[in-house]
Amino acid sequence: MPPDAPVAAAAIERQAPVVAPAAGRAGRLALGVAVTAIYVFLLAPVAIIVFSSFNPTEANTFPPTGFSLRWYAKFLDSAGFVAAFRFSLWLAVVAAVAATAIGFLTAHGLVRYWSRGRGILQSLAMLPMMVPHLLISISLLLALMVVPVPELAALIVGHVLICLPFAIACIVASLEGVDAQLELAALTLGASRLRALWEVVIPLVAPGLLSALLFTFMVSFGDVYIALFLSGPGRTTLPIEIFAYMQWESTPVVAAITSIQILLIIGLGLLIERLVGLRTIMRV
Amino acid sequence: MVGESARSGRLLLAPIAVLYLIALIAPISFFLVMSVFRYSALELWVPTVTGENFARLLGEPYHRAIIVRTLKIALLTTVGCLGLGYPLAWYLARTASVWRGLLMFLVIAPLMTGVIVRTYGWIVLLGSEGTVNTILRGLGLVDRPLKILHTELAVVIALVHILLPYMVFPLFAALAGQDPDLERAAHTLGAGPARTFLEVTLPLSRPGILMGSALVFTLTAGAVVTPALMGGKDVQMLGQTIYELTMSTLNWPLASAVAFVLVLCQLAILLVYFRIGRGRAA
Repeated sequence: MPPDAPVAAAAIERQAPVVAPAAGRAGRLALGVAVTAIYVFLLAPVAIIVFSSFNPTEANTFPPTGFSLRWYAKFLDSAGFVAAFRFSLWLAVVAAVAATAIGFLTAHGLVRYWSRGRGILQSLAMLPMMVPHLLISISLLLALMVVPVPELAALIVGHVLICLPFAIACIVASLEGVDAQLELAALTLGASRLRALWEVVIPLVAPGLLSALLFTFMVSFGDVYIALFLSGPGRTTLPIEIFAYMQWESTPVVAAITSIQILLIIGLGLLIERLVGLRTIMRV
Repeated sequence: MVGESARSGRLLLAPIAVLYLIALIAPISFFLVMSVFRYSALELWVPTVTGENFARLLGEPYHRAIIVRTLKIALLTTVGCLGLGYPLAWYLARTASVWRGLLMFLVIAPLMTGVIVRTYGWIVLLGSEGTVNTILRGLGLVDRPLKILHTELAVVIALVHILLPYMVFPLFAALAGQDPDLERAAHTLGAGPARTFLEVTLPLSRPGILMGSALVFTLTAGAVVTPALMGGKDVQMLGQTIYELTMSTLNWPLASAVAFVLVLCQLAILLVYFRIGRGRAA
């Protein structure tokens, strides 16, 4: 991540956003049109899915020819999809909890104890984001062929790996807003390190921890690359089930499932926005 | 106190260090070392040093075409992300709109829905019966549906969409971190909007441009699912080759050589990033 990110964040806090005075009127209009077009580009594929999920006909036509919930009913009837949905939920909860726990220890260590080497260490902690997930996944699969570990363990470890950078980013952002003196005061007053952590630090960064949980849940739930190599019979995640299905056919049942997923994600995203603000995470 | 504090600092980082060593660095190193092993149909791999995997990869026209195509698509995707990401990041960093929070959320939201969801959206949009073709035919611009799906263009469009947030984050950080007085000063000194942008804003945002481009290029080069669904059999990229070599052909050494080429590309980009970044700082 950019080494100057914290500086950037500080600058945002310090100054109110300013529209460059140099931007002329025509320039501003052109920019407005461009930005609107970019947002249409960003949101069209997501919007179209929701529309076509209510389409009564087989073909993915737009505009829809009517309104129907038959694809949602078909999703609930399909044992494979429902099982994969459940497994994905379970996996995402496990990965989110583990990544948030490890991420909290890491973030706390980085922010409070490593003032000098922090930049490099924090970049290293972001490693799983810099390496293609394909490479992480395939290497874990290879490791399984050499070291006898259950495949499920490898799948969980893989998800924890890809979730960690997001967890650390959330919690570091939150810890930076907490006065280090408070923890020091607790220690001076005779609290053990563990007690100071549990009774002072954790309650103060609770919003950061919660947003880390939600964020990592979403990362795990949306993953394809880790599960592509490490899922198997009875351990298929929803994206892999959809991927396998889509290679043969593409009916709006996929639209119905992905609409449910979009709804879930938007709900969680809004929750994070309320808790800490997505902007604090975006500055990573 | 200092000693104890250093010990706590190390202790807190121990879990992640152990995890990364065992589950990330060791397996990836082992996988990459395999690129010099000999392939054997019986034992899968024989640990003797050979250059035959790389020779095959770079010698056979089939594999060379895939490497060239991957680099081409990665480059086009990076340029596309930069073209769309820069105005967006600039706007988000400079706007005073009350909708700023929501607009930022809308950039991040697609990132969270996962690759499959967004790729599926593009299939619905670009298919022969899809929205784009329906609109084009409705307007009478074409009489037969255009073949967009299963082309390189379709892969690039979907990848730009999927990877755009990775470009916007670093650009936003670089642009929001600039002192707004610099642009004002340039304006006061008589520079027009274009000159201010080219000589002040753009050079100052170079770290963001490099970081975002490096991220997008790498992530594109390693893509599997999106090229498989958007490009079909005709638009094979390195990621799919690795997938097929490990999952069906079981030629791990050759798969490793392919991955090695990918990692080399990434390292080259990171090197450029640090050299240009350093050059600026000094």
